[in-house]
Amino acid sequence: MGQVSLRGIRKSYGTVDVIKGVDLEVQDGEFMVFVGPSGCGKSTTLRMIAGLESITAGELWIDGDRANQMRPSDRGTAMVFQSYALYPHMTVAENMGFALRMAGVAKPERARQVGRAAEILRITELLARFPRELSGGQRQRVAIGRAIVRKPRVFLFDEPLSNLDASLRVDMRIELTRLHAELGATMIYVTHDQVEAMTMGDRIALFHQGRIAQLGAPLELYNRPATEFVASFLGAPRINLIDRPGAAAPAAHQALWQRLASAAGGSVQRLGVRPEHLQVLPSGEGVPATIVLAEHLGDCSILHVRVDGIGSLLNVKVASTGARGSSGEAIGLAVEGGAVLAFDAQQGRVA
Amino acid sequence: MRLRSRFRLTPAWTPYVLILPFLLLFLVFNLFPLLFSLFLAFHSWEPTSGLTAMQFVGFDNFGFALGDEWFWKSLRNTLWMALASGVPQHLVAIPLACFVHSALRRGRDWVVGAFFLPYITSTVAIAILFSALFSTDYGLINLGLQGLRHLPLIGAAFPAEPVDWMGRPEYIKPAISLVVFWRYLGFNMVLYLAALQTIPGDLYEAARLDGAGPLRQFWFITLPSLKPMIFFAVTLSVIGGLQLFEEPFILTGGRGGSDQAGMSTAIYLYRMAFDFNDFGAASAMSWLLFFLVAALTALTNRAFRARGPAS
Ligand SMILES: Nc1ncnc2c1ncn2[C@@H]1O[C@H](COP(=O)(O)OP(=O)(O)OP(=O)(O)O)[C@@H](O)[C@H]1O
Ligand SMILES: [Mg+2]
Repeated sequence: MGQVSLRGIRKSYGTVDVIKGVDLEVQDGEFMVFVGPSGCGKSTTLRMIAGLESITAGELWIDGDRANQMRPSDRGTAMVFQSYALYPHMTVAENMGFALRMAGVAKPERARQVGRAAEILRITELLARFPRELSGGQRQRVAIGRAIVRKPRVFLFDEPLSNLDASLRVDMRIELTRLHAELGATMIYVTHDQVEAMTMGDRIALFHQGRIAQLGAPLELYNRPATEFVASFLGAPRINLIDRPGAAAPAAHQALWQRLASAAGGSVQRLGVRPEHLQVLPSGEGVPATIVLAEHLGDCSILHVRVDGIGSLLNVKVASTGARGSSGEAIGLAVEGGAVLAFDAQQGRVA
Repeated sequence: MRLRSRFRLTPAWTPYVLILPFLLLFLVFNLFPLLFSLFLAFHSWEPTSGLTAMQFVGFDNFGFALGDEWFWKSLRNTLWMALASGVPQHLVAIPLACFVHSALRRGRDWVVGAFFLPYITSTVAIAILFSALFSTDYGLINLGLQGLRHLPLIGAAFPAEPVDWMGRPEYIKPAISLVVFWRYLGFNMVLYLAALQTIPGDLYEAARLDGAGPLRQFWFITLPSLKPMIFFAVTLSVIGGLQLFEEPFILTGGRGGSDQAGMSTAIYLYRMAFDFNDFGAASAMSWLLFFLVAALTALTNRAFRARGPAS
């Protein structure tokens, strides 16, 4: 069991509303990811679930029990901090067994449970060490181990991998996914990282200014974003947004809009097209454009392209074998069919 | 031009020139007395007879000191007062610092300042203040005790007569210890407050999630985190307590009080030198005191040695 319900949850600090009404049903065993820009309230929401912050209004239910006033240790949740928050003066084993010790579990039983969690995480040989003798990745494992030992129904992670280097992050990402499958517990995972959000979650809750902007499976959010904000938050490089051209707009802008807007109705104010759905043609074909900057990443290239009349540069993602591209080069742009998102004046998606 | 540049400070010399004033003062007022007292400890010398009157006497001065009843008494006095003023300093300063750290936001600097004030106040002013407080007939402390005597039930536990704090041998040490305790409490509190501010808040959050209440958070998080600072502060207390001089010196009029009850070792060796004119014995005693301080500091160090590998 590990079902979490947030019903109209709000949080204010004094007169500042930080969380402005969040409704969310996290299913038992689900891997739920919270993403969103900095300061949108992901951590605050997570900490309210953990019991580290009081809930200003609304109800929190965990497995059918109202948890608003429950003590943090009684909620059946365990949290892994971004900073690890390991007790520096305790060994790894003591760190992991601390909650059991507080619960009055006898020493042999503690050792057994800590040993089991250590096996799962493959840190048995670290048990006698102190946190300062561990690498960042090892500390992270211990922090996760400390959570596992408590046998929580719900794991709460607040950007647990953000202090690790890139390759370790990939390893730990896979490890956490494996752990989720192995333990079958509910996990709520806060991250900044697009890749983590897209690959790890069963569902994503995308936060924006204290509300959930959209909730759904990763690909659903990517392919059918509810708003312009969701569309531009997910995906790297960012989606290209093209305004409806005025009557006096340059020809290139008009031409691009014409190619994109085949499906668009009259209410459409803006069109979005993802960088991978733009194609590069030789100069003279398609919509005329100029490369301002080309980033060659090996497996692909990101071209930053100027189209006459469009304020911001367009991002184009092409396979490396395609147009080599160098800055200043004139090219033509084409659009893959059926991949265009249309937004109305209220920034909602209409097509 | 050429002449000028010859006197210019080169970068290689600059640090030495800059440190010279300190070095000179240190040599004259620290290192020289230190070595001279070591030298004196092995000589007999009456300073009034001039420098030529020194005579090498080997370990005689040490033998004399170790056989001197008053020297031992002064050591017992010193240890008594060091413990009675030192232990409560920390037992009170730690909880007090925790309280100020967690409960006070506004007005905190004022409270800390008030506790710190005695530490920077001149000992003479403090002695005058406490002489008035301890006064037998008019002192506030006796007035308070007399007032408490009128309480029902527990009133009988308080003395019927005004207490002659500085006159009766059995009260002198507690009175001096109280002053020393009061004087250094704020200093220790500031030390602990500084240490408390370096403990990461998320440790407490993790402990809360692990089911530790406020008391167990104090025991399992705060105390272990304070350990290095406790070591530092206790070491300062050990050193300061064993060198106890100013407070008993002024409160007892420089003589140690009746029955020498308030005579610390530092007072005794001061009197040995300047009242009894025996600089050799005084030097020997000061070195014996130094060895005691060093030994107790080493013991403190051992008691607080970090668990596990050295950090
Ligand atoms: N104690 C506090 N008092 C006032 N405002 C606060 C407090 N804690 C957080 N906030 C505000 O609440 C908002 C949400 O903060 P929160 O930490 O939840 O953001 P976040 O989504 O986790 O951001 P990040 O991705 O940077 O961690 C922020 O605008 C922040 O300024
Ligand atoms: Mg955060």
